[in-house]
Order: sequence, then structure tokens, then C-alpha cells
Amino acid sequence: MKSFRPFFYVAVLLAAVVAPACSPGSRSAGYIVYRLNADPTTLDPAYIVDVTGGSIAAKLFNGLVRLDKELHVIPDIAGSWEIRDGGRTYVFHLKKHISFSNGRAVTAADFRYSFERVLSPEGRCPNTWVLDKIAGSDEFRQGSAGHVDGIGVTDPQTLVLRLKEPFAPFLQLLTMTAAYVVPEEEVKRRGPDFSSSPVGTGPFTLQEWRHNTEVVLKRNTAYFGDKAHVKGIRYRIIPEDLTAVTEFELGNIDVISVPAYEYSRYRMSGAWKNLMASLHGLNTYYLGFNCSRPPFDDPEVRRAVARAIDREKILRTFYEGRGRLASGPVPDLLRSWAAPVASPYDPAGARRTIEKKGLSGRVVHFYVNADPEVVDIAEIIQSYLKAAGLRVKIRQLEWSAYKMAVNSGEADIFWLSWWADYPDPENFLFPLFHSSNHGASGNRSRYTNPEVDRLIVEGQKTVDVRERNSLYREAEYRIVNDMPWVFFWHKTDFTVRQPTLKHYLIYPIYSIDKGTEVSF
Amino acid sequence: MPPLLLGITLITFSLTKALPGDPVYSMVGERSNPEIIEKIRRQIGSDKDILSQYAGYLTLLAKGELGRSYFTNRRVAEDLLIKAPQTFRLACMAMAIAVPCGLLLGLAAALSRRRAVDRAISALSICGLSLPVFWSGLILMFVLSLKMKLLPPSGTGGLRYLLLPAMTLSLPALATLARVTRVSVLDIRDMPFIRTARAKGLGDMKIVVVHILRNVLIPVVTVIGLDFGSYLSGAVLTETIFGWDGIGRFAMEGIIKRDYPVIMGCILISTISFVLINMIVDVVYQYLDPRMRRLGNDR
Repeated sequence: MKSFRPFFYVAVLLAAVVAPACSPGSRSAGYIVYRLNADPTTLDPAYIVDVTGGSIAAKLFNGLVRLDKELHVIPDIAGSWEIRDGGRTYVFHLKKHISFSNGRAVTAADFRYSFERVLSPEGRCPNTWVLDKIAGSDEFRQGSAGHVDGIGVTDPQTLVLRLKEPFAPFLQLLTMTAAYVVPEEEVKRRGPDFSSSPVGTGPFTLQEWRHNTEVVLKRNTAYFGDKAHVKGIRYRIIPEDLTAVTEFELGNIDVISVPAYEYSRYRMSGAWKNLMASLHGLNTYYLGFNCSRPPFDDPEVRRAVARAIDREKILRTFYEGRGRLASGPVPDLLRSWAAPVASPYDPAGARRTIEKKGLSGRVVHFYVNADPEVVDIAEIIQSYLKAAGLRVKIRQLEWSAYKMAVNSGEADIFWLSWWADYPDPENFLFPLFHSSNHGASGNRSRYTNPEVDRLIVEGQKTVDVRERNSLYREAEYRIVNDMPWVFFWHKTDFTVRQPTLKHYLIYPIYSIDKGTEVSF
Repeated sequence: MPPLLLGITLITFSLTKALPGDPVYSMVGERSNPEIIEKIRRQIGSDKDILSQYAGYLTLLAKGELGRSYFTNRRVAEDLLIKAPQTFRLACMAMAIAVPCGLLLGLAAALSRRRAVDRAISALSICGLSLPVFWSGLILMFVLSLKMKLLPPSGTGGLRYLLLPAMTLSLPALATLARVTRVSVLDIRDMPFIRTARAKGLGDMKIVVVHILRNVLIPVVTVIGLDFGSYLSGAVLTETIFGWDGIGRFAMEGIIKRDYPVIMGCILISTISFVLINMIVDVVYQYLDPRMRRLGNDR
């Protein structure tokens, strides 16, 4: 018997090595498995700036209000609210018996603490813009006031927010992660580690976070709203798309976002095509001009470039129809007025204008990031502009250097996209086209038009929806006429899921998905 | 070692700071104001001149710390303590595959010189050297995971998770070792002491194992040392493809985000590993080659 022992050990080792990849042990029963392409930077809602972190935080935390599937603002921790003083004051009545996952009840004072934490002069929270509409926020941020004057706690269930001036999309702002409530005692006790061991009120709690490997959430049985059907959610961190596709096809992941190069295969596949879902995204992809210097400080030249590119053809062929043609910056889903008329493809007219302006043969520096799809698009645009008489030099930079170059106004033209933070046309107008936001604040085209500035700000203050839409419509028409961007498309998202998954939906904004509807 | 590390910190610090890009733009997201950007710059110290920043980093090192990641706010040293063992496991497993296979293939090729086996092994080793890791990795994943369902395609875990990245990583080292072994065996086989051994009536097996292989080990150990050292610095592509949570992926993410404390920490750990491996290789030389022992004793 003794002589067989080494063989026995080798056999055991081999069995362990070659055991099937999809053994039940690799999945926890009742847990849905998603894929993330990067480890979340933080799960502290005050500091989240990425979709990865935001989509997880939405399941761990709650705010006063949230968005439903139709993008309407609905109650969350606040059961009801009143808007007073012509849109200057918001009074929120909090639901009773809502607790953090540590068992302590949520009160209005927790919201004051959470909001002041975002605006704190000591902190380095990048999301202050979400709450800086509240009166007294500037004084508090500068350290000249102990509290934000505009945040009032009348009683444990009543929170009053007074704004500097009416801001129509304020409720939408409050659906963002930066406005989620956190427990002061846990933040103080955990210090910097709160970002990796957060405590909230959401339908899930953090079970485990193995950095760069997986984030596991488990169902919060004490959640005040509709409880999750699944026992938990496991987010596997897989940077490489092809690896994620392999994991999905082996059944180790329940849903993946379809990579661009796999789109045709899944669409044609008998096994998968019926399991694909699509959603018109709240985003705009664009070619931005640097409007602050020649040659693109001239709207006529910008319009000529727009006419030189056959966007519809690029969308249909290269992009395989994975989007809707944009006619302006505001996504069609958010626009309740007639869309502006898009520039027609007119290469001869574009060439004539370029010649008339004496720009034939002019070198133009086109900045793009290292995404291969973007580089391909840049080359297509380069060939169109060559036909129009411009010599485009593509400068490819990795993301950090690219953002720095574009923010500082180094590029002549650049390729970017903007995704909605909240579902309001204002989110596609103020940060991107108001002259106070040049550079890193969002207006990377450095576009300036005092009339557009006035219309946007007027729209922010106007509570009446019809009047506001008419102001936004006017602003958008003027922007389209000035053409600081060539408006390309609004991208459509595609996912594919396992047949065992039920009630899975994709949402235009990540914070909508609380993870409570999906089931097996 | 300390002067070397000091030199490495100086070079790395200068190079990372010379790179275009600013981590603050990645930290603030798509919509931030200049006031916040400046505040973050002050907090992470990037508003100071480069000499002050370097002095600050050295002070940190003197306290035995590597700083905190700009993005995650976690201690770099703690993250490295998690990731370094994973990279070490991957490197060891890759070597455990590459060394015996490379030696055997090289030996087989040399002993069947200019015959079909030799040609086949030479062709395979050229393939192993030429194939980029991201391609061979994906092919192995396609065959062993997707088609044969033998191994999991990604993740950091036990032996099953380790095999696929280790096989991918071992291919270039295996090919190099096969070629080095072949050439060395052919060189040694014609040397006078082998002829003497044959004349003394020693069998082929004993000549190969005792006389040829022992001498072959010296160049082979050099190759192992170099490859193992580089694996310990992290295999960026392999770790990324297979989602292996090692130093290579950590360093890569640090570089992309310009997370300077992470970049510096990874490079320091890699340097220390590389120096240690080379020291071990020098000790092994002494054991393998009596002439080096004698040289050491004479000194």
C-alpha cells in the first residue's frame, strides 16, 4: 500500500488541477454575477466619480429621492416633499423606521452631516457641485461658517433645504451618489477605510471586497423598500473584454455588456440574440473644436467641417448602427421640443468654404485617447477632412495625458462623449456650453456665447416646465448654429444575459438600478 | 543595495513626473472646478516643486512607508503585501513549468541533432519566443477553458486558476531555455572531458546526467535568474488577460492613472526582487561551478 501513496497524491493533485472550470463551487447559489472592467476606486458615495463605483453605491445607499425607470423623481428616504418660495425652498418629510445597516435609525440630521461632509472645507470631495446650490454652501466651503446655513433640521423627520436661487433640476441632482446619506459614527470610526467598508441604508450590504478580484454584496433583509430577490450580487473584476466574454459563455457571469467587436456575432447567434437587450443611452458623442483660437474660432469653418463628414454613413457602417444620429447636444430622450436640423453632408460646400477661408492644406491637430475604436473613428474623420482640404494630424494619448491636453486647450479638435449625471437637458447644456465652465468643468470646447449663457441660466431658474423647455430649445438651437461640436450620435447600450436570469433590465442612469428586481 | 535603491527612486521619480498627464484630472471626474483641483493638488503635494516632492517621498521611505494611493487612499505597502505573494506564486509556477520542460526539450533536441525531433523542437521554441503573450494567452484560454472546459479563464485563486496564466507566462522562458540548453549541450558534448568520460567506459545516461547537465546548468541558471526576476516585477499582460491580482496589473493601473505612490512602490519592490534574485543566482553559480568557489576562496 505504501508504494501507492505517491501515485495517490499525484492523482489528488491532478484532480484538483483539472476539475471542471464551471464546478458549482465557483458560483454561490442565489448570487447574481456581474462583470466590472476595473476595481471601483471608492465606495464612499461622497467621492465617487466613476460609473463602476456609482452602480455599486446605488445598491448600498439611498438618498432623499431617486429615479424610476421612466426617469421620474420618486420618493426614497423622503416619503414626500414640498417646494416653496418659487423653487427656493424644499421641505422633505422623511419616512419613519428607516435604519442604516448598523441598526441606527436615519434622521434629518444624518442628511445635514452627509451634505456638509461633501461640502467640507477640509475634504477633497470632487462632487461639491451637486450641493453647492444650497444657500450658505460657499461660506461653509471657505471655512467662514460652522454649518451650511441653507440646511435646516426642523425635527428628526423633517429636512429643509434653502437654495441660493431657484434651481429647477435640484431634485434630479439629489438622486446622485454625492447626496446619499451616510452614518456619521461609522465614517468617524472607520476613517479613510470607510471607502472600502461602507455602511448605508440600501437593499444590499457589503459582504466582501477583494480588491481587483471581486466585490460581493449580500441582501439587506432589513431594507425598508422592496427587498432583493437574489441573495446577493457578486461583481467580478475582469479587465479584458475577451476574458469576460469567455467567462460569460462558460456561464460564470450572468450578464455582460456586449463589446463592440462581439456585437455582430451575438446579434447573429441563434443562442444569444434573443437574450440581448438594448437601451438608448443618455449620452452624446462628439467631435469638439477648440473655439478659443484659429482656425476653429470661426463658426463658418466649424460648420464646414461638420458638412465635410458623413456621420450617418459612419454610424451605419463602422458603428454598425449602435446609436442614433445626434442633431444637437441634448439626447433625444430628454428633448421635448423639435430637434434642430442637422448639418447635411455636403463635401463640395465644405471644401469651398475651407478654400474661401484660405485654410487649404492647413494642419489641424486631432487629439484622441488610446481606445482603438476611437482611433479608428479618428482615421475615418481624418480622411473626410483631407477631402475637404485640411491636413489632420492625429495625436494619440493615454487617458490622463489626453484629458490634461484637452482641458488645457492644447488640441485643435478632439473626440469625447458626455453621459448624463441626471436626466435633465440642463446637464447637457450648462456644464458643456456655459462660459464659466471652460476646461475641466466640462466646456472643453471653450465655447462662449453670452446669449446662450443667459438662456441656460434663465432655464435653471425657471420652475415652469414649458417656459424652461422653450429657453433650453432656444439655447440648443443657438449652440447647433454656432457648432462648437460636430454632434455625432447617442450611443445605444447592448447587454446579453444568461437564459436563467429573469427581470433583468438595463437603465439609462446607473443609480436607477437598486438590484431588487432581477431574479433567477 | 541602499545606493541602488536611492538611484532607482531618483530615476523613477524624475521619469514619472516628466510624463504628460495629471492624476488630479482623473480624480475629479468630468465636472470639477479649479478650486477643487487646486485643493487636491495641495493635499497630495503635487503643487510643490519636484525637489520638495522627492524629499518628501524620501522622508516617507525613511519612515518605512510607501504612501497612500491617490485614488483609493489605501496604503500602497498593504496592497503590495497582498499582490506580491500572488506575483511570486505565478512566477514560481511559470518557472516550474518552464525549467523542466525547457531542459528536457533542449536536451532532446541536442541529443537528436539535425534530425526531425531537433528541427521540430527548434521550430517550436522559435514560436514560443515569437508569439506575443496576449495572443498565446487568449489561444490557451480558448482551447483549455472555452472548448475543453478544463481550467477557469480568469481570477486569482488556487492551482486551477494559476495554471493558465503560468502556462502562458512560461512559454517564452521555456523556449529560451530549450534553445540555451541545446546549444550548451552541443558545446559540452564535444569537449575533451566528455571524451575522457566515454573512454573511461561511463554509460550515456551517466555522462548526460552527471557531466553534461551539470555544466549546462550554469547558462541555464543565468536565464532562469533573468526571467524569474522579470516575472517578479509583474507580468502586466498575463495578469491583465487572466485577471490575476499581481504587481504587474497594479503597476499598470498606477501608470494609467498617474498614481505616483503606486508606481514608485511597484518599482521599488521590483528592483529589490531583481537584485535579490541576482544575488541568489551568484550563490548558485558558486555551488555549480567549483572554479568560482576557488576564486572566492583565493580572494
